[in-house]
Amino acid sequence: MHTATEPAPAVRSAPPPGDDAAWAARLAARDPAALREMIARHGTALHRVAYRMTGDAHEAEDIVQEAMLRLWDNAPAIAAKHPVGSQAAARLRLGGWLQRVATNLAIDRLRRARRLSGGEVPEEEDGAPLADEVIEAGERDNLARALVLALPERQRAAIVLTYYEELPNAEAAKAMDMNIKAFESLLHRARTALRQALTAQGDAP
Amino acid sequence: MSVNEPDRGSGPIAPGSPLARVLDGYGTPDLPAGFADRVLAAAETRAPPLPELRRPARSRRWRIGQRLAIGVASFGALATAAAATGVLEQLAIPVPSAKTVWASLTGSGEASASAAPVVDAAVPASASTPAPIIIDGPIDTPEELQETLRRVDQVRAGRREERRAIIDQRIKSEIERRRAAGLRVPTPEEEARLRARIEQAVTAREQRADAAAAARREAMQRKVENGEALTREDVTGRKPASPEARERFRGLRDLPPGERAKAWREMTPEERRALAEELRARRAARLPQQPAPEPAPTPAPAPAPEASPPAE
Repeated sequence: MHTATEPAPAVRSAPPPGDDAAWAARLAARDPAALREMIARHGTALHRVAYRMTGDAHEAEDIVQEAMLRLWDNAPAIAAKHPVGSQAAARLRLGGWLQRVATNLAIDRLRRARRLSGGEVPEEEDGAPLADEVIEAGERDNLARALVLALPERQRAAIVLTYYEELPNAEAAKAMDMNIKAFESLLHRARTALRQALTAQGDAP
Repeated sequence: MSVNEPDRGSGPIAPGSPLARVLDGYGTPDLPAGFADRVLAAAETRAPPLPELRRPARSRRWRIGQRLAIGVASFGALATAAAATGVLEQLAIPVPSAKTVWASLTGSGEASASAAPVVDAAVPASASTPAPIIIDGPIDTPEELQETLRRVDQVRAGRREERRAIIDQRIKSEIERRRAAGLRVPTPEEEARLRARIEQAVTAREQRADAAAAARREAMQRKVENGEALTREDVTGRKPASPEARERFRGLRDLPPGERAKAWREMTPEERRALAEELRARRAARLPQQPAPEPAPTPAPAPAPEASPPAE
């Protein structure tokens, strides 16, 4: 199990500039090996984000799979916009593109679940003990999970991307399709909510 | 733990703080083995993506602007059509000409000079369609009488033009009808003689009407000079018809020609006689002098008495 106490780089290894354009070209040519390589490079990071957003391992796998398939579908358009050797190719970051897709997919699924349930998403979808019981049990991991999952989905995404994935604010804002000022405001509210929730449990931050 | 830059008002979660210690306990599972194979299998069986939209998606601002442009263009087209068909004039909304608008924009005086003929040209056009003369109140001053006579002359001139146009149209349509039916059509010389005879008859009729009008006008002028107020009978030269007779005339006039003749036949002989005498008296009052013998009948029928408007 990968935990946040371990280093959590956003990507597995930093590709050379323009490398992603070459991978996009191979994906556009329908090369299964290229898709396998993309899964190996970015799958773990996307799974961490999706899991911490949803709190459900199966849901997180579905999100990663859907993000990868969207990359597969959109590879021809991406490759056409970023031809190998061009300046646009040097700017292409498939990891950031996948991060944005996975974050939006997770937010969409959380909103859909809330709409279907008519209220807040159950914090423990996999049958884990409820937050009150967890707090009483003093299990630290479940307490963290309860705190994060109690946040609204966008605040949750801001915490996941900046704290756990250690993305700079600008990149995290880009992944959430927000401007930097709005993202910083969102992040401020998320941190405040986390501290208040922890204080409410009797343990001051 | 967090390396992102501090935000305003609330600093980052410091490593080692109680909150950081709690958050660091949120571990994540690894991806299951065979996940990549599953994704590859799904990619193989995945339906091809939908083709791109034929029209590229446009921003909301552009869509709103496009709708506004279409609305303005539609309104302009409707307004132009209304102005061209004269709807706005019927609603008493003045529509300036393009030259007038251009002159008001540029400040040149050409349009004001050129606008005058337009107004003058509109007067004969309106005179060709006779407007009813409404006499409100008694006419008892020479100025009122002159104005009344001026308006009467204006309407009479328009009616004469219309009569000549109707006669000309009837001659042409009759010739066309005969030509289409394969009948003999008059030669140009015959047509010229026919037109001359008709013109002679029309002129004689107008002379009689003018003479009658001149006599009435002398009488009206004497009456006004004596300070008396003119009545409607003085101006029109007709005795006011009785309400019953007026109703009968109106009923007959409003009927189609075939039904009018039928209604005439269905009257009793006494009614027919009374109505004919009344019509004769009205005609005699309007044309006191006996007309000269009519010229030879023309192939083009003269307008029906009930269809032609009264002389005055």
